[in-house]
Amino acid sequence: MDMLRVWPIVCEFGVGAVLCFVGIWCGLRGKYLDMKVSEDRRLLVTLVAGYLLLLAVMCVFTFLAPGWGSEGAL
Amino acid sequence: MIAQAIGENIDYAVMIGYFIAVLGFGLYFGRYTRTTKDFFFGGQRFSWWLIAFSCVATVVGSYSFIKYSAAGFRYGICSTQSYMNDWFWMPILVLVWIPIIYYKKIQSVPEYLEARFDKKTRVAATVIILFYIVGYIGINLITLGKTLHGLLGWEIMTGAAITAVAVAAYVYIGGQTAVIMTDLAQGMILLVAGLGLFAGAIYHFGGFGNFWALLPQEHKYAFSDFNAPPKFSFIGIYVQDGLANTGALMLMHQGFIMRFLSLKSVKDSRRMVVCWILVLAPLAAIATSCGGWIAKALVNNGELTTEPGTSFIDAAHFLCAPGIFGFVLAALTAALMSTADSLVNAVSAIFVNDIWRPYVKRDAGDKHYLWVARVTSLVAAGAGLALVPVFMKDTIYGAHSMFTAAVTPPVLTAIFLGITWKRYTPMAAFVTIVGGAYLIGLSFVWPDVLVGPLDFGMGPDSYKFMRALYGLLVSGGLGIGVTWISRPRPVSELKGLVAGTQTDAMRQFKGGEPNRTPGKKVRVRTKLDESLAGTETVVLSQSSLDTMAAEPGDLLYASHIRWWYGGLRSVHVKAGPVAPAESDTLLIGPDSAATAGFVDGQEVVVEKIM
Repeated sequence: MDMLRVWPIVCEFGVGAVLCFVGIWCGLRGKYLDMKVSEDRRLLVTLVAGYLLLLAVMCVFTFLAPGWGSEGAL
Repeated sequence: MIAQAIGENIDYAVMIGYFIAVLGFGLYFGRYTRTTKDFFFGGQRFSWWLIAFSCVATVVGSYSFIKYSAAGFRYGICSTQSYMNDWFWMPILVLVWIPIIYYKKIQSVPEYLEARFDKKTRVAATVIILFYIVGYIGINLITLGKTLHGLLGWEIMTGAAITAVAVAAYVYIGGQTAVIMTDLAQGMILLVAGLGLFAGAIYHFGGFGNFWALLPQEHKYAFSDFNAPPKFSFIGIYVQDGLANTGALMLMHQGFIMRFLSLKSVKDSRRMVVCWILVLAPLAAIATSCGGWIAKALVNNGELTTEPGTSFIDAAHFLCAPGIFGFVLAALTAALMSTADSLVNAVSAIFVNDIWRPYVKRDAGDKHYLWVARVTSLVAAGAGLALVPVFMKDTIYGAHSMFTAAVTPPVLTAIFLGITWKRYTPMAAFVTIVGGAYLIGLSFVWPDVLVGPLDFGMGPDSYKFMRALYGLLVSGGLGIGVTWISRPRPVSELKGLVAGTQTDAMRQFKGGEPNRTPGKKVRVRTKLDESLAGTETVVLSQSSLDTMAAEPGDLLYASHIRWWYGGLRSVHVKAGPVAPAESDTLLIGPDSAATAGFVDGQEVVVEKIM
């Protein structure tokens, strides 16, 4: 595996996870983000889902998509 | 006859027609601007989808089509990487920053910094932020000047000046409402044009697979190499754009703060950000970059000869029929105007709120401040125009990157630490901003000594990007270090200004305990009641309140039944005593009704805000 292609994902999503954690933690302190409120729970799910979606897209266009043309996958 | 270098006369007719239409559209919405609150914040009444489009139109500057297409032509699909790192800032934005500024009724970043720290921090931030925004206007104007130079043969300053005059004119008259409404149109046009161009290219090549096969192998990766090439490495783009620039857009950019404050509620900010960052921003990334990818594929297919800087225009000209090409040119114009208008309005807001009102003329009437705001709009456009010659010396990407990397880190760091860390002190905030700016200034004198150790082996070509990392590190180091040797403000003085106290800000905003019980919207008919004149109070039946899960004293929002008005005809009101009899009537004062443009007997939608 070419680590020069892996480090950007590790760096972006690693620092990104820290930023997300800081934001969510700051929301939970003082209960502005209240897990008893349904719309707040939905927001938390959306935040995590957005993170995972972006991670999935970036992985596809790092590990799979570059080989599509050469394999005749399309 | 226009002496154009490329395109047909019909293309230029379409572009000029669009230019005039947007100008008229913006001027039309001037009638909704009567106060400074309207001029700066559009009356705080707009729906999430309207602001989402408006934000994406502001993010996509005219430089975006040129610079991202140039990067796409040189490096491939990794040209989109700077649009894909915004999501990580979202929790801080929607859970900390927006609740604080919205509920505390903060009108600008400098105002927040004074409330959180002290006056000298506010003054220091005002200087840097004004420099940042005016410089941004200059970058936008030079881009269109360069584009029009290539298309029409005009001098760069001529194209920049014409655009500056047009933008200043509709901001002068329409303020934030004109900005938001024109940005809606412009956001749609630039997305349709960019994505339409991409779809046309796929059709031209006979399918996505054929297009993909025409791209070089190294052009098919989502990220560029970690530390190569020096002018477009992942780490350089990430620290300059993903951290410094995106952080600045979210937390420090007055244009975006005004957009967030234009929302009808904080709850709407959540939907707005999801739509903007997760849906529209990736589409915008494709729309702005695809010109370069298409041009590369056309070159590899032996159909086109071009170079990075003109790849977007050349690819669009190759693929589009006469008239359609004009529409694409209009999108370029749209991108410029939709960014510059926000910036012009933002300069105006900071000048009035942070300089004129506190230091020049206190306690004047709102009409006076509205007049000053309008005149400042014209001056801001002129100042941006004056900077055009300064930025002519570099490439657009280089000028933009150098500027944001050098200017944003100190204030961004101060805001970030200020909202997330109660212990962070006023002295530390001041040192972060002034000391950080000074040390970044020194990095231009001794770049090898100060930025060199952080260049990941890329050398001097990477300094304009890596300076952002240096700036964030030295600003953060100063802030954290000085905090431990200085005295923090008592926690009791920070309520509503720092993470953990957002609910205090909500209480202050409402003037009582927030009601967060989920409820539904109700449809009722207005009935004007003179006894409610001069108040924001409305009277509803018990059943209507029950449907909304609202109680007397709760904040409500009444709007036109047509959702696509986006809140243009709406008003915030307060639930008064329960109506004595059951009915589907909304008793409302004539002032509130006039604000929303409601007439007696009109059907409206009411929902609980808090």
